[in-house]
Amino acid sequence: MSTEDKTFAGADASRDAGKRSPFAKGIGVVRFLLTTWKVNLAAAMEYRLSFLLLAGMMFVNNLIWLFFWSLFFGRFPVVHGWELGDVMMLWAVGAGGFGWANVLFGNFHRVAQIVSSGQLDVYLSQPKPVLLNALASRMSVTAAGDFLFGVVIYAWAGEHTLAGLGKFAMGLAISGLLFMGVMLIAGCCAFFLGNSEGIAQQAFNSFVSLTTYPADIFRGMARIALFSIVPAGFISYLPIGLLRNLEPGFVLGAAGMAAGTCLAGAWLFRAGLRRYASGNAVSMRG
Amino acid sequence: MLALRTRGLGKTFKVKRKEPGLRGSVRSLLRPEWEEKPAVRGIDLTVGQGETVAFLGPNGAGKSTTIKMLTGILHPSFGEAEVLGLSPWKQRSELAYRIGTVFGQKSQLWYHLPPVDTFELIGRVYELKREDYARRSRELIERFELGPYLRTPVRKLSLGERMRCEIAAVFLHRPSLLFLDEPTIGLDVVVKQRIRELIRESNRSEGTTVVLTSHDPTDVEELCSRVVVIHHGGLLLDEPVERMKRDVLNRKTIRLTTASELRESELPLPEGTNAVRKEGRTFTIEVDLGRTAVEDVLGGWIGRVRIEDITVEDPPLEETIKHIYGRRGEKEEGA
Repeated sequence: MSTEDKTFAGADASRDAGKRSPFAKGIGVVRFLLTTWKVNLAAAMEYRLSFLLLAGMMFVNNLIWLFFWSLFFGRFPVVHGWELGDVMMLWAVGAGGFGWANVLFGNFHRVAQIVSSGQLDVYLSQPKPVLLNALASRMSVTAAGDFLFGVVIYAWAGEHTLAGLGKFAMGLAISGLLFMGVMLIAGCCAFFLGNSEGIAQQAFNSFVSLTTYPADIFRGMARIALFSIVPAGFISYLPIGLLRNLEPGFVLGAAGMAAGTCLAGAWLFRAGLRRYASGNAVSMRG
Repeated sequence: MLALRTRGLGKTFKVKRKEPGLRGSVRSLLRPEWEEKPAVRGIDLTVGQGETVAFLGPNGAGKSTTIKMLTGILHPSFGEAEVLGLSPWKQRSELAYRIGTVFGQKSQLWYHLPPVDTFELIGRVYELKREDYARRSRELIERFELGPYLRTPVRKLSLGERMRCEIAAVFLHRPSLLFLDEPTIGLDVVVKQRIRELIRESNRSEGTTVVLTSHDPTDVEELCSRVVVIHHGGLLLDEPVERMKRDVLNRKTIRLTTASELRESELPLPEGTNAVRKEGRTFTIEVDLGRTAVEDVLGGWIGRVRIEDITVEDPPLEETIKHIYGRRGEKEEGA
C-alpha cells in the first residue's frame, strides 16, 4: 500500500462520528450506562451467597451504630436540638446516599488507585466519557446493604407524605453526589502528586466519619471547616435543614456544593488526563 | 491513503531518582530529586491503509508508549500525530469509534462474567444496532471458534482462550485500524500461531490496518509486511519484513541433545552451520538461513545421530538489534 497519498483513510467517517448531535450522544451514553449496570449486577450475582452476606452484613453494621445512638439518646433525649429520629434520618440519608452512589458508580472512591496503577487505559480506548465509564465500571455489593438500610430507616422513622418522600429523595441525591464529588477531587490528586492512594483513603475515612455525627455538635472553626473544606456538614445537617425544617438557604447551599464538587472533580479529572502516565500492571475488569 | 502519520512524536516521563536502601528513601523523602526520562524520542512514521506494521523492540524500548500516544491514552510531550485524520489526544472519543485496541496485559473482558456479556456491553459502547450486533457477533464467534467457551466465566478460561475473546471483541465495531500491544505475550506456540492466523485473516478479509508491538520476531515474520524497530525510544529501522528477514533475521539457533556421547567432528554439519558451543551431550548450532535451510540441517542428522531433544530458536532480540547497529555502522563508514 502506497504511503505517498497524503489523504487519510476513513477521515469522512471520523468527522461524521464527531458530528453526532448532543441528544444522540446523550442517548448513547444512557444506554451504555444501563448496560454497564446490568453487567455489573450480573457479575455481582455470580456469587449470590457472597452478595447476600455482604449486603446483609453492611445492613446489620449500620443497625448496630443506630443501636448505640439509641442508648445515648435514652440518657440524653435532646442534644443541641437533635433527637433520636433526626439521627436515624441522618444515617438514612448518609448511608442511603453513599449506597446508591457506590452501587451505580462503585469506583468513585477508587479513582486514585485506578490512576496510579494505570487502569485508565481500557476506558481511554473506548469512545464513551472516560470518567463516567470508569466510575460505573464497578458495583459495590456491600453498598446495596447501605442503600437498603437507608430506605428501611426512612420507612421506619421518615415522614410518610409525598413531600416527605420528595425531601428524602433529594437528601439521598445531595448526599450521594457529595460523596462522589469529594472523593473524586481527592482521587484526582493521583494525577498531580503521583501515588496518592493513602491520601484518598484518609479523605474517604474522615469524610464518611464526619457525615455520621449531627452537624450541630460542632462549633467554631470545626463547623466552618465542616461546611467548606470538608463539606460533610452538608450531609450531616440534612435531617434538620432539609427533612425537618426545609431551610431554603441550606438546601440551595447543599445542592450547590454537591454539584460544585462533582463539577470540580470532573474538571480536575479532565485536566489530570493530560498528565496520566499509564502503567504496565496486569489488570482485569469486573 | 494514510492510516496514521507522526512527526517528531515524543514522550518524556518525570521520574523520581532514589538511592538504594533506607537511607536513600529518607533522603528522597526530604529532598526529592526528579529526572526527565525520555520514553519516545521524536518518531517520524507514516502507515498506509491496510498495512500490517510491527513495532519490534526489547522491553522499555518505547513501543507501548508510542501505541498509547497514537490511541489517545497518553498525551505526548512534543511532536504531532494524526490517526485516520484525527488528533488522538484531542479527538480521542471520535477516534475510538474507528480504531480497536488490544493490550495483552489489560483485559477489557469482565473477569467474573462469560465473554458473551462483555460482547453485549461493547456493542453498547460502540452503539451498534441490535441486528448489526447480533450478525457481527455471530460472525466473529464462528471465525474465532469461540462457541465452546462463550458462556464460561472469563476467570475459568485459559490465557489463549481469553486472548482469542479479547481480539474477537475488538473486531465487533469493525475498526479500520487495529492497535495490538503484545497480543501474543505469555501464550504457547500453538495458540500464538492461531492468534496470528486470525489477525492475518481479518486484515485480508476486512482490509484492517494492523499496528502491533511485539518482542517476538516470529510475530513480525508471520504477520507483518513492514517492521519498525524501536530502541531506546528512537526509530532504529523501518523496512519491509522481507528485507529484514534477508538481512537481519537470517539466523536460527538449534539446540541438539544427543542420546549418546558424540564428538563435535562426528556431528554432520552442512555448509552454513557453525557449532558454537558443546556442553555435555548438548550442541548449540547456529544456522545461516541464507546458505542452508533448517530442515536440510535436521534431515542430515536423521538416521545418523540418535537425538534425545531438539529445539529451534530465533536469536535473542538484543542480538538482532546489535546486528542492526553493526550494519548501520558499516553503512555509515562506507558513506
